[in-house]
Amino acid sequence: MAVTQNEVVQPQAIKPWKFNLKPMIIGMIILIGIFGLARWYQQWAAWDYGLDATDPMFDVYWMQVFWGEIIIEVILFFTFVGYLWMTRDKHLNNLSPRVELTRLMLWISMLVVYAFAFYFAGSFYAEQDATWHQTVVRDTSFTPSHIFLFYMSMPVFIILGFSLFFYAITRLPFFARKISVSLVIVVCGPFMLLPTVGYNEWGHAFWLMEEYFTVPLHWGFVFFGWTIIALSGVLIQVMKYMIELLPQVTNSKGELTS
Amino acid sequence: MSLTADEAQLLSAVNTPNSDAAKISRGLDMFVVAILFFAIIAAFHIHFMLTVGDWDFWVDWKDRMYWVTLTPMLLIFIPAALSYPFMQKFGLPISGTLCALCLAIGEWISRYFGFHLWTYFPFSMVWPAIVIPSLMIMDLILLLSRNLFITSIFGGSAVAFAFAPTNWPILAPYHIPVVHMDQLVNVADMIGYSFTRTATPEYLRFIERGTLRTFGGESTIISTFFSAFVCMILYFVWWKIGEWLTNLGTIPNVLKEYVGLGDDKNDK
Repeated sequence: MAVTQNEVVQPQAIKPWKFNLKPMIIGMIILIGIFGLARWYQQWAAWDYGLDATDPMFDVYWMQVFWGEIIIEVILFFTFVGYLWMTRDKHLNNLSPRVELTRLMLWISMLVVYAFAFYFAGSFYAEQDATWHQTVVRDTSFTPSHIFLFYMSMPVFIILGFSLFFYAITRLPFFARKISVSLVIVVCGPFMLLPTVGYNEWGHAFWLMEEYFTVPLHWGFVFFGWTIIALSGVLIQVMKYMIELLPQVTNSKGELTS
Repeated sequence: MSLTADEAQLLSAVNTPNSDAAKISRGLDMFVVAILFFAIIAAFHIHFMLTVGDWDFWVDWKDRMYWVTLTPMLLIFIPAALSYPFMQKFGLPISGTLCALCLAIGEWISRYFGFHLWTYFPFSMVWPAIVIPSLMIMDLILLLSRNLFITSIFGGSAVAFAFAPTNWPILAPYHIPVVHMDQLVNVADMIGYSFTRTATPEYLRFIERGTLRTFGGESTIISTFFSAFVCMILYFVWWKIGEWLTNLGTIPNVLKEYVGLGDDKNDK
């Protein structure tokens, strides 16, 4: 087919800029739904069926929730991480700056969801654990507060964190060329809060039966909580890169050029 | 300091009202604010609750020895660490105020939904310590001095010096003496005794075993003075930790060949 002059010189229309906020909003709504439902369930089932781990009703109302969430979380982890790796961009060397900018902004918007999930684990459900154990009961590792703190809230932000990491190294050239140490710490540090549960449970099983919240066997959580400070490093890396990336897609009047 | 051509173009672009560059730049700012808000609540709150939480949870634990001594020390870790990126990278001496505000929000949500609605404790028993003035003064010293050493000495110590006075107006009524079953206790101890906490240590803890009364016998001032000394050191140490965590850099990616970046010239 012959190529006409008209087709060659026709300037390609530049798509206007629009933030893709849908994934972030949907993510936030899902998290509010999950954590809100869990909080409602605690209010409904903790006092009636969660006070005695040897009670058969505890198995029905709490251990089934525990096993259910563990199975779902393992499936979701491998599904998300596997999907992001299998569908990776194999030609990042040819990625246009405009597409890279769009992906980078989507990734940052999903960091908001990650931070939101970390809030529920580090603040909401963590301190709630204090009031239950200090004032009601702690007779097993699987109490009504632990089942939603250690085995739901923490896995949720771990799944999100690793998914964000794999998105970054498979779709964003900036993070794929070299691995950001800050990003590794921001993902792996909070992840280590979950294995630290082993230290916590060991301490409570053999050493300290009373529930001080400030005892050294809890300081593993503190140490790995500090790692989120490295988030400042990630954000500064992104902002510095934006100083390079933005002039590639806009002119001096701020209009998009690609 | 002179700008490169790209930087000058970017500056002009983002300063053009309603331009695409300005929208993208403001959008990025909003994402960063939201990320920091949730992440600081989580990181600061988990650190705080697991290091000085017991004194913060319960009104009868708010003594003049451990509470006054330890709380400012542990309060300064995260704000001092974040002072480095906020001040050095953005010129914003707001880390302390932001952290204090985030902590207060996280604590009040937790005290309401956890301590009050779930385990039925009254707010008069579980109110969190007031920390915003202490950390605001720390920021103020940094704003005025713009100097790490001066802020460590005067800003760090201010966190401790302001802590007891700012909490005293709310705590004082709980220290009114009452006689209960022929024993002299204070109102805070009465409240603690009335609301059962099955798994905590004995409700009346033995504190202040020492008999020496220096500084005119005022234990709170002694605790504050010791705390201020440690806060000076901790501010400097945690500023440096913040600096280290902010500037970690990068390492080679051994998987980059799988995404088409095997012979990328940017690595050389």
